[in-house]
Amino acid sequence: MRSPIPPIPPRKSQYGIDPSLVKKRVSELPGMTSVLIKELFPDMPDIIYPTDKGIEAVRKATEEALKHVDMSMIKPEHSVNILASHHGFTLLGGEPYAEMLKTLKDVIQAKTGCKDIRLRAGVGLRFRETEEYIKRYGLDKYFNGKAIGIAPIDEGVPIETEIGTLYGIKRAYDADWIVHAHNSDVREVHFHRQVDRAVKPFGMSYARIETRSTYHQNMGPRAANFVARAIFDSPFVQKKFAFACFLTVAPHGIIGVDADNDLYALNDRITFIGCRYYGKMMTLLGSIDECIVALDFPCPVVYVFAGGVIYANFAGANTDLYDLDSVPLPSYTWYTEAFYGKNGKPLLEDIPPLNPAIKMCIHNYAWVGYPSAFFSEHIPTVVVGREQADLFNRDPQNLNYMKHALIADDLETAMEFAYKVTGTRKVLIFDGAIGGINLSEPLAEYLLKKAPEVNEKVENELLPKWLRQRGVDIRIRDQVGKKYAVSM
Amino acid sequence: MKLVNLIAQVDRGKCVGCKTCEKVCPVLAIKVVDGKAEVDVDRCRGCAACEQRCPVYAISMQKRDNPLLVSVDIASVNYDEILKLCSNALLHPEQVVCYCTGTRAEEIAAAILKGAKSPEDISFMTGARTGCKVECIQPILRLLEAAGVKSTPPQGGWQWYGRTVTVWEIPKKVREKHSSRGFYFDEDEKLLDRVRTAPLQGRGVK
Repeated sequence: MRSPIPPIPPRKSQYGIDPSLVKKRVSELPGMTSVLIKELFPDMPDIIYPTDKGIEAVRKATEEALKHVDMSMIKPEHSVNILASHHGFTLLGGEPYAEMLKTLKDVIQAKTGCKDIRLRAGVGLRFRETEEYIKRYGLDKYFNGKAIGIAPIDEGVPIETEIGTLYGIKRAYDADWIVHAHNSDVREVHFHRQVDRAVKPFGMSYARIETRSTYHQNMGPRAANFVARAIFDSPFVQKKFAFACFLTVAPHGIIGVDADNDLYALNDRITFIGCRYYGKMMTLLGSIDECIVALDFPCPVVYVFAGGVIYANFAGANTDLYDLDSVPLPSYTWYTEAFYGKNGKPLLEDIPPLNPAIKMCIHNYAWVGYPSAFFSEHIPTVVVGREQADLFNRDPQNLNYMKHALIADDLETAMEFAYKVTGTRKVLIFDGAIGGINLSEPLAEYLLKKAPEVNEKVENELLPKWLRQRGVDIRIRDQVGKKYAVSM
Repeated sequence: MKLVNLIAQVDRGKCVGCKTCEKVCPVLAIKVVDGKAEVDVDRCRGCAACEQRCPVYAISMQKRDNPLLVSVDIASVNYDEILKLCSNALLHPEQVVCYCTGTRAEEIAAAILKGAKSPEDISFMTGARTGCKVECIQPILRLLEAAGVKSTPPQGGWQWYGRTVTVWEIPKKVREKHSSRGFYFDEDEKLLDRVRTAPLQGRGVK
């Protein structure tokens, strides 16, 4: 079997324990191996990063994509806000997204003569997260001191939409033009269900608390995405919107850069990428019958990655997250969490449980800054190290997380406990391994055996259904296929 | 219910008196007096909004020597009144509205029945909206509205701006126009209706 892939290293952040406290990575334990995504699914497209061409490939792809974008509306005397989000910086260490943002600035300046170009980087629930990334990647200097993090409790601006007044963050929109700089990584499929993925930041990282609460509390799990579309379609935003530029991502790496003046055209293309490539990974991981999950990545509990899939999605992988008709409410969303009553059971009998294949969760390294107690309450969880437990007990969003979790002194003890209690040797490691998945040997064998039938099922049965449910013409397959080469 | 185990502490040497902390505090526990921010120890609910937005990093969160447990006892009000209020707000009483503290709609309703007149009062009494500070503002505003309370945002603050649309209020023409693109308005309305009318699991039980 193949050696494990080096995981993403721990990162210094106010939201995680000091990297020196992460004594051992799960992939270093005996019996761990890796599988490459391309071994599982040989028809995954070729990647541009990471390759031997380095980060320069992202710059070139961004420049190439922007050649076809109309920027004539931006005049030298205008101001431009490049709108970014924290999520992009969690992809493959963050450097590709940072490079795309830098290139965007350079190209806009070169093409239009505009010099007042600012970076406004939104966040989720960790309000200083993008400030950390701005420093880490030298974006403040690159944008001549005009790079700032923006948060949903910052001053707001009312936005009139066809469903009434919603609210954006004022500083996201305080320029003549906005450029929407995002990525196609699917991440929270449980929330957005791959509906209007390209539009979502208008209802999230560029939005105020009122809007985000509308999405997560007022609309329902499959209507919620309309909040972002309503804001994007508003005269206020349309008047400022110049174009969008996306890092396109597949479970094994960066596959390109896509840019367009028409966000909905771009949205259809990334809907296809999301359904086809991530759909395969999720369907494959959803087929796992039993396993121990290990969290080992510099992100909050829900966002740790394995093969491009986040833990929150694996926790719901017992249902088809892409199927809008048959799965009204996935096993995990905030709506689902809200609908658990006082006896700890769902208020409706047909609400599915969290993925029963997950027998135990070993929390070796993951951050605070996202309410995660639902997971430790419903999945047996062992946290490695007292310091990490203390961090969770100090986080206003996670005061109940440790009420339901055990603490182990070290990783080895935690894993031995998990092996003994669960009786399984299948381990899935969420450590952001690039290009593949780190896991135990029995699970690697299982996935390699299962992948061909999953591939066929997604291509022939599920993908056409998923696209139909989203109003995306299956013929987009040809358009996207031409853009992304596949070396078998 | 929330165990408040942190408190904001201001470094007066760093504070520039910009009032950002005042504008983001969900319980109005911090105020700039004579050019420096001051924390009301009894009001602070340890949410860290001020610490996270202070532009000069003048605020840190410290452990409280004596943590406070804040909650509104639902047994102290008539549960039928809670049921009525939640029903009017189209929420199930046991529905969790604050994911960080696990606060359910019934506790928010109880706070209103015990006199809360604003989201700030509710956060102070229950601890809701003092975790992530983001996701639970709408059900709180819906419950206040359902109780006939006309609340206005704190003057000059950024705590909140207003109630927004619910799925029940999405116009028919909007539903028709967009339903082919994966937005399931009618179906989600039915789902939320089923939830809000589902049987109680623990009437009146803490």
